Amino acid sequence: MRKTFRLLWLYGKLNLSAAMEYRAAFWTQSIGMVINNASFIFFWWIAFGQVGESIGGYTFHDVMFIWGLCSSAFGLAQIVFGNNGHITRMIVTGDLDTYLTQPVDPLFSMLCSRTALSAWGDLAYGVILFIGSGQGLSALPIFCVAVVTGALLMTATNVMLHAMTFFLGDASALGSMTLDFLITFSIYPLGIYPLFMRVLMYTVIPAAFITHVPLKIARDFSAAQTLLLLGFTFAYCAAAWLLFQRGLKRYESGNLIRTRV
Amino acid sequence: MKGIKKYLRIFLISVQGSLQYRGSALGSVLLYTLFISTFFFLWRAIYARGASFGYTLPQIVWYMCVAELIIFGGRANVFEKLSDDVKTGDIVYPLVRPASYIAMQAATAIGEAAFTFLTTSITGVALGLLLVGPIPGFRLATFPLILLSMLLGILLTTFISMSLAFSAFKLEENRSLAFLYNKFVFMLGAFIPVEFMPGWLQSIVRFLPFPYVSWVPCRLAVAFSWDFFAWAVPMQALWLLGAVLLVSFIYQKCMRTLQAQGG
Repeated sequence: MRKTFRLLWLYGKLNLSAAMEYRAAFWTQSIGMVINNASFIFFWWIAFGQVGESIGGYTFHDVMFIWGLCSSAFGLAQIVFGNNGHITRMIVTGDLDTYLTQPVDPLFSMLCSRTALSAWGDLAYGVILFIGSGQGLSALPIFCVAVVTGALLMTATNVMLHAMTFFLGDASALGSMTLDFLITFSIYPLGIYPLFMRVLMYTVIPAAFITHVPLKIARDFSAAQTLLLLGFTFAYCAAAWLLFQRGLKRYESGNLIRTRV
Repeated sequence: MKGIKKYLRIFLISVQGSLQYRGSALGSVLLYTLFISTFFFLWRAIYARGASFGYTLPQIVWYMCVAELIIFGGRANVFEKLSDDVKTGDIVYPLVRPASYIAMQAATAIGEAAFTFLTTSITGVALGLLLVGPIPGFRLATFPLILLSMLLGILLTTFISMSLAFSAFKLEENRSLAFLYNKFVFMLGAFIPVEFMPGWLQSIVRFLPFPYVSWVPCRLAVAFSWDFFAWAVPMQALWLLGAVLLVSFIYQKCMRTLQAQGG
């Protein structure tokens, strides 16, 4: 476990220094993410200005909280597990070979070996939104916990869908589409969706556990809900890991020789 | 005439090529359905509380259908293609061909987007009818004019993307520019209609190219008026002319600095 966390730290340092090689791109993408997110806030500001107190059962501050949470969780997932959207490509091209020879869990090593530039903007923006959401300091611990569980759930969802490549062939479109579904369901008030979509969000596409359950806990703390959030995240991540391991048994190497510099 | 035929042929070859990637078009259709459904639920909840933005609920849902159609259907990877051509040096190969590089890339990009545009349009019309019924006051006679405005919007975004792609001559990592540009197009006129913005922002936005990609065709589709058409479509054409001139200028300037070393 200690070795794994040390590897995570080293990957983090390496990825950040690689990102800073292209400073202009780093800042443009980060600022781009902030502009993008800020304009959505602008939209909500206009919408709430028209309708008043709540939309779909959420106030303006609630919406800021779920947007902030989703943004930071996405940012963290892309910073720490930056390869989570590239798994299919690595399986198909044989790049996975590199990680199979390393003395650590191949899934973990593969996920951590890349970072996304714009994700720093997402992470920072989420924190700024949380501060502006007016949920108060009492909600800070659940916000921090939910950023980590959200990042893990987003990564696990991507791993599950990309692991389908082992069984079905190229599943990259399925993977990227599901992430879009996950984010879209996470950032709009739960009350606007019909019942069958809400059921989906509590089960197959775990959007409810990324933002909506943490919001409930932030509004009115409940130990049972917190345990449910942690338990669900653990079970979902374990299921993703198991599926990947099962798929790995079907992987056939192309003996790709590659130099990583 | 012979010149136009040449690019029409390139366009048709590109359309044929895109027919081979039906899975990708299906993916776009599914994502398009997700976004339109979500926007429908959202706007329904907002309008249920008595909001009024100058558009009725059916109008705003159809507005989103057209806006997303331009974004999804008009999305070709022209930026990535041109940037990669510059970075890898592949840009030298088309130079020996008896055709303009810019026009060739534009014809390829529009051809690539055509099939996705067609499938997404069918989905858009079906979704719009299913969710809110026909567009209130829509007249079939205005359809060709709306289509013209959509085409101008797609061409405008294609040529602007090409201008940005040539930044690869100066910047090693230039994807962030396309990322920023796409965000501006999405937020200024696609996701938020210009009329929803405060007056001071509207007066700035109208002088930028972004709303002429999707705001003009969307507004024409849901609330057609001759006054608006007579002002907005020439503006689209002007911006398109500006984008074509800009990309030609940048291309000529960059080509003077190009050094080919064989290989």
